[in-house]
Amino acid sequence: MTDATAKAPMARQRRGWSIADIVREYGVLLIIVLLLVVLTLLSDSFLTPRNLLNILNQSTPLFIVSCALTLVIIGGGFDLSTGAIFGVAAVSAAWIALNVDPYLAMVAAPLIGIVLGTINGVIITAFNVHSFLVTLATSLVYRGMAILVTNGKLIPVRIDEFAWLGRQKLDLGGGVAVNVAVIVMLVFMALIMFILNRTTLGRAIYAVGGNEEAALLSGIRTNLVKIITFAFSGGAAGLAGVITVSRLSMGEPQAGTGLEFEAIAAVILGGTSIMGGAGAIWRSMAGVLLLALIGNGFNILNVNPFFKDLTTGVIIVLAVALAAAGNRR
Amino acid sequence: MTKKFLAALLIAATALTPLAAMAQDPIRLAFLAASSQNGYNDATWQGVQAAAAEAGDVQVEIFDGEFNAATQYAQVEDIIAGGRFDGIIVAPNDTVGIATALEEATKAGLLVASVLFPVGPSLTTMTPQVPGLTVTVASDPTIGATAQANEVIKFCEGKDPCNVVIMIGQLQFPFDNLRYQTMVDTLKPHANIKVVATGEGSYSPDASLTAFQDIIQANPKIDAVLSNADQHLLGVEIALNDAGIPIEPIYLIGGGLNAITVDKIKEGIFDATLSGYPRSEGYYAAQTLIKAKKGETVPNFIDPADLAKNPLVVDKAWLDANPDFKAEWEG
Repeated sequence: MTDATAKAPMARQRRGWSIADIVREYGVLLIIVLLLVVLTLLSDSFLTPRNLLNILNQSTPLFIVSCALTLVIIGGGFDLSTGAIFGVAAVSAAWIALNVDPYLAMVAAPLIGIVLGTINGVIITAFNVHSFLVTLATSLVYRGMAILVTNGKLIPVRIDEFAWLGRQKLDLGGGVAVNVAVIVMLVFMALIMFILNRTTLGRAIYAVGGNEEAALLSGIRTNLVKIITFAFSGGAAGLAGVITVSRLSMGEPQAGTGLEFEAIAAVILGGTSIMGGAGAIWRSMAGVLLLALIGNGFNILNVNPFFKDLTTGVIIVLAVALAAAGNRR
Repeated sequence: MTKKFLAALLIAATALTPLAAMAQDPIRLAFLAASSQNGYNDATWQGVQAAAAEAGDVQVEIFDGEFNAATQYAQVEDIIAGGRFDGIIVAPNDTVGIATALEEATKAGLLVASVLFPVGPSLTTMTPQVPGLTVTVASDPTIGATAQANEVIKFCEGKDPCNVVIMIGQLQFPFDNLRYQTMVDTLKPHANIKVVATGEGSYSPDASLTAFQDIIQANPKIDAVLSNADQHLLGVEIALNDAGIPIEPIYLIGGGLNAITVDKIKEGIFDATLSGYPRSEGYYAAQTLIKAKKGETVPNFIDPADLAKNPLVVDKAWLDANPDFKAEWEG
């Protein structure tokens, strides 16, 4: 059971795929294809290797955070603290790079994220409080920590060794170069997909999100599984934070504000169930890609920014409605 | 006799205590920051504290507006109800909505100063639009935006076309919208200048980087970037470096005059920035309220840029000629 509707495909295999089934399963991909076609027709600059790599590069932090958030949501949880953890990790990395060592900063940020994510998981399981409430509260605490580190100011980090992670490119030949950060994101995504689809922990995450009581009765240590998903989410936010601060050479206390909502939108847009127990990493990646294409398209076409939120909202509603319509059939 | 004398002394002391206390009561001012976790507001707060320390008999407190208009409105209401303060200095999150609350504050006898923006429906009317408001310490945003656009016009002389990108904070903010329209209107009569794209930087280097990376995909030939905020230029610089586009031939002008930008202008990476004086805004606002409380006559509008006696647009030539200049905020 590795996807949102693992039982449904078996039923469909018996009766064949209808258009409604395809729309429900792959609605987000259909919208992405439609958007690719439209943007290609409207702008010569869109479908170029440089722009496509540009989209991947600038969306790397969101890809990483959404990837790990998918684990939390499949496991039946919700994480509103990713933006704040991103902020703490980013400014901490900036401070460590400036005052201690740039390489240590790159390692420290994900570790800080793991610690803060683990704290989330421990509070949620120890006090049996809904993750929505706990992460809402801890997000305030973590954001406050980011402010304390910087005193509300920017931390410039103009150190070449530190900028390597965010800015260095690897030449693939033929004039195409990929950012190191994109490669880190792809490795991270592969790791999370492997964990979710090929390990006992992955199966336990689906089980806990699907029916926690049944999972407990079947011997799964549900609290530990939940804590691990939040630790992954925190670690991913920390990794995304250090990539961003390395790219900008600047630690910002407000960095990552709103990132949690973008990540949640991407995961749900992809089709992962908000109720838990079902979902897939590729779906969240598709959700991120869709949001990134909208933003990129608006900037490339120089459309009035007033229409951006409106269009993004309409497309999200459309994608969710397509999936819901398919579910009702 | 001694007992009677002591009793009379006690009664006299008790009766005079309130008068004595009244004479020693410090002036209490509340600074309502748009957000206490922001470099610009932090510098304004430092200015408020400096004016209070200079006066000697003034206590100041900061309130965090969390970049939220409703939060700030509630803070004004709480201050009126609490009766602890003699005056309010506000860096408004919503220049129109908070006017009602501030009017109530002035009716309750509080002195009110507005910094960074005027309070009221018009962003270009610097004299008080709220009855009873003591002073506005701010610069007219259209004057600054016009000055910035004029610098771009000067740079573009002899270039046809001269491709310009405008990086603005957020067009949903009335003051950013006004600045943007002023920039566009100032550039419009010049046929050689083409505004090829507008990006929203949201006062964040990260958001500016993303927007500018996209913009240069469609518009690789750019001659000038006109921005209302220095933070936007940090993102623009990275995007240009990443794309392998040389920065030196491109004219980059920001706004705010923070320390990071001053360094970048000195290094020749950025070209100019619109001056900004957050510490002075806080200082003059607090000083004016203290004087008003003491019964002195005070002006109802102060432009800190005028008092600074520096050029409205600061560039490398000016900074080289004034090596001791220090920006009022870090960034």
